[in-house]
Amino acid sequence: MSISKVFFTLEMNLKATIMKTHFLFPNKFKKLGWILFVPSFIASLFISFSNLNIDNYWIVKVFAFTETGIMSQNNYFSVIQNSIVDEVLLYSLIIGGILVGFSKLKIEDEFTSKIRYESLVWATYLNYGLILFFTIFVYGLSYLNVLFFNTFTLLLFFIIRFHYLIYKLNKTSNDDE
Amino acid sequence: MTNNLKVLRAIKNISQEELSKQISVSRQTINAMEKGKYVPSTVLALKLAQFFEKRVEEIFILEESD
Repeated sequence: MSISKVFFTLEMNLKATIMKTHFLFPNKFKKLGWILFVPSFIASLFISFSNLNIDNYWIVKVFAFTETGIMSQNNYFSVIQNSIVDEVLLYSLIIGGILVGFSKLKIEDEFTSKIRYESLVWATYLNYGLILFFTIFVYGLSYLNVLFFNTFTLLLFFIIRFHYLIYKLNKTSNDDE
Repeated sequence: MTNNLKVLRAIKNISQEELSKQISVSRQTINAMEKGKYVPSTVLALKLAQFFEKRVEEIFILEESD
């Protein structure tokens, strides 16, 4: 094999390897993620902290595997009336959060992957640390709040940590040049 | 592990930005490597070696602690 051929093969292999990023969405989904995530996050916080009752809005028939009303019997596999505001918000939060957290950056490379991984580990520790903390200090129905927030806090912490680190890197490397 | 990327880059008179485009990584990656905050993968090390027309060992040097 000639030297140039060796280099060509190497080049091809390197390109193929560097491009490979597993399980991430294309960059264009990130914007959609923000559009879904931010409004639903603000709305969820507002609804929980203002004790706003949303049970009377947007009532539709839904199919329920199981439903337990307050002071009533369990229903299984039945069609029920339900306000879907909270369901839609949670869908928007989670899908938006996943798209924000797991869409490629404009330039995604092995270093950003490493930061992504480390942020995810960090966020997992923080999230479960908080759960352990609240589990021994929050009791009764209030604990349902802990469970509700837990549906998206892991994603939230990850997104904040990841973007903070990327922001910090951009800033320091701008200073250098 | 240390490296002399910064020196090689100065010799070639090429900016971090330009180098990062040439080997298709982000500028932050080049910056982090130069500062010794990031150890590149074998693939990226080979790419850099190829770009600077050096052997990998001439760019990246093991330290006692490694």
